[in-house]
Amino acid sequence: MAGELSGAALLPESAVRGARRNATAWLLIAPSCLALVLLFVVPIAYVLLLSVTDPRLSLAHYQRIFTVPVYTRVMVNTFVTSVIVTALCLVIGYPFAYVMARRAGWVSTLLLTVVAMSFWTGFLVRSYAWLVILGSKGPVVAAYGALGLGKAPQLLFSTFSSTLGMTHILLPYMILALYASMRKIAGSHLKAAASLGARPAAAFREVFLPLSLPGVVNGSLLVFVSCLGFFVTPVLLGTPRDMMISQLINQQIEELLAFGFASAVAVVLLIATCAVLAIYNHYAGLDRLWG
Amino acid sequence: MRRRTFLKGLAATATVVSAGPLIITERTIAQTRTIYVNTWGGSWTAAEEAAFFKPFTEQTGIRVRTVAPVSYAKLKAQVQSGNYEWDITAITQADLLRAEREGLVEPVDWTVVKKDKLFPNAVYANGLAYCALGTNLAYRKDKFPQGGPKSWADFWDVKKFPGSRSMLNNAVRTVQFALVADGVPVDKVFPLDVDRAFRKLDQIKPHVKVWWTQGNQSQQLLRDGEVDMIVMWNARASELQQQSLPVELVWHGATITTTMWGVAKGAPNRKLAWGFLQFAVQPKPQADFANKLYYGPTNPEAFKYISPEVSRQLPTYPENVKVAIKPDTVAEADQTAKIQERFTQWLAS
Repeated sequence: MAGELSGAALLPESAVRGARRNATAWLLIAPSCLALVLLFVVPIAYVLLLSVTDPRLSLAHYQRIFTVPVYTRVMVNTFVTSVIVTALCLVIGYPFAYVMARRAGWVSTLLLTVVAMSFWTGFLVRSYAWLVILGSKGPVVAAYGALGLGKAPQLLFSTFSSTLGMTHILLPYMILALYASMRKIAGSHLKAAASLGARPAAAFREVFLPLSLPGVVNGSLLVFVSCLGFFVTPVLLGTPRDMMISQLINQQIEELLAFGFASAVAVVLLIATCAVLAIYNHYAGLDRLWG
Repeated sequence: MRRRTFLKGLAATATVVSAGPLIITERTIAQTRTIYVNTWGGSWTAAEEAAFFKPFTEQTGIRVRTVAPVSYAKLKAQVQSGNYEWDITAITQADLLRAEREGLVEPVDWTVVKKDKLFPNAVYANGLAYCALGTNLAYRKDKFPQGGPKSWADFWDVKKFPGSRSMLNNAVRTVQFALVADGVPVDKVFPLDVDRAFRKLDQIKPHVKVWWTQGNQSQQLLRDGEVDMIVMWNARASELQQQSLPVELVWHGATITTTMWGVAKGAPNRKLAWGFLQFAVQPKPQADFANKLYYGPTNPEAFKYISPEVSRQLPTYPENVKVAIKPDTVAEADQTAKIQERFTQWLAS
């Protein structure tokens, strides 16, 4: 004790103050750290442990995930679906966000309100809305009949309806991420491009698009990672063949009581998500995710 | 010393935090006499509320709170972790037998439950029988003006009875229906020929539009005309009939399963729980429940309070039992996990 004190006494005044400030900072974040450890790190460690110990110590669960065709297919399907949903969100969201960011006044406000309302409506409600819209007595089928196109194809309970529902639910995330980065692009950049002789299309391609890329990457990441863990919408709107990873986890726990196997699947999902985030971090930096 | 006290405090905090749902803390602090029941939700819980919970609270002052839906996985998890979300669970007879074998349910507390106040066969696998549920073929009469399907063989016959179909996402029920569709007599379904059942299921799979999981969902599908015929719980179909929808219910080849009440092993309010269960299996509450929701009472005395018209629509009505699949709970309990796993893979492939 005494040694430490005298050691500290030898240090310049500012270093001591710095150390004390450091300690205060640690004390201030201690409660949140404790909460994170108890509510997040401990449960994840427990899941990890379960995946190799329930019912006995082995890596058999992991082997099963990658050798039983059905489970491999669920993994692949989850990733493919996530890529498709992300691409759809981007294609629909980009023009929307562009108009929101470039137009001033009521147009922008109106569009923002629409996105926000969609964002705040529960996703269960939005999923059920599609049940009505695409249902055999819904407006889409009625429009088909009215236009004389004959019998409408089976819309509900298909890959189509489940992808549509997920795209709808995740679209606001994409739009808001794009909007945040597009708002930062000064209009003077485009004016400068025009003054140098660029047509609007060229100005967009050479100036606006590259500057908006961080938003594209952020939005895509948010949508992709959220989509990986999607549950309710594919259950309500999709088919058993389009099963996503989280449905598999739920089924293993609820129906088969296979806590160990479900944990192993959850760990694989977690690792995959972390891998996506790590790649993003390497190229873009996680701290830029929120603008 | 102080360090140790601190550590103890930390450990206590950790326990409280990891206990999770506020229910637990609220319960410990308030010291009110409340029991928690795991139930199926929707109209099922509404009927229970009227027939069992409200009269019980009026009589004893003990409050009853519900948690839905019924989950065997949660029962197992709460017994293993010691964090109880509920004391009593509604559970199918086969699942209760599994739970009893796994040590997840309390033995009957004979200091609370009086044997002379129970009906014969009320006790099974440490639980009390409280109602019987039919899982039937139901269809829209308006979609079949020439007469609808009368059996599982008809359900499978997509040429004679075209139309969209929906089935219950439950392996053990579905396997039995497939066997009857394949020509197995209703009293010879057990022992289950699982391979034969799956071969038969392969035929119907492309024609099943939805595999439903929630009772409300099955009603929505038939009500909105999303499907023309469906596997459905009998009282859910009766509800649609009461709403004057053209729905017909087939008893031939239906499964009739007994729903039980069990008390979670080590549940904090187990004494109160047994008191409640003793109350709930008496004839009057049993009849009140069956009159509200057409699931059959297990207490034969209850029929005294039920009209003949309603009786005929209950799964425990003798004529209905006669044509239904003869259940073998032990076989079901033995095979559920295995069949469920195969079914899960079959559905996803």
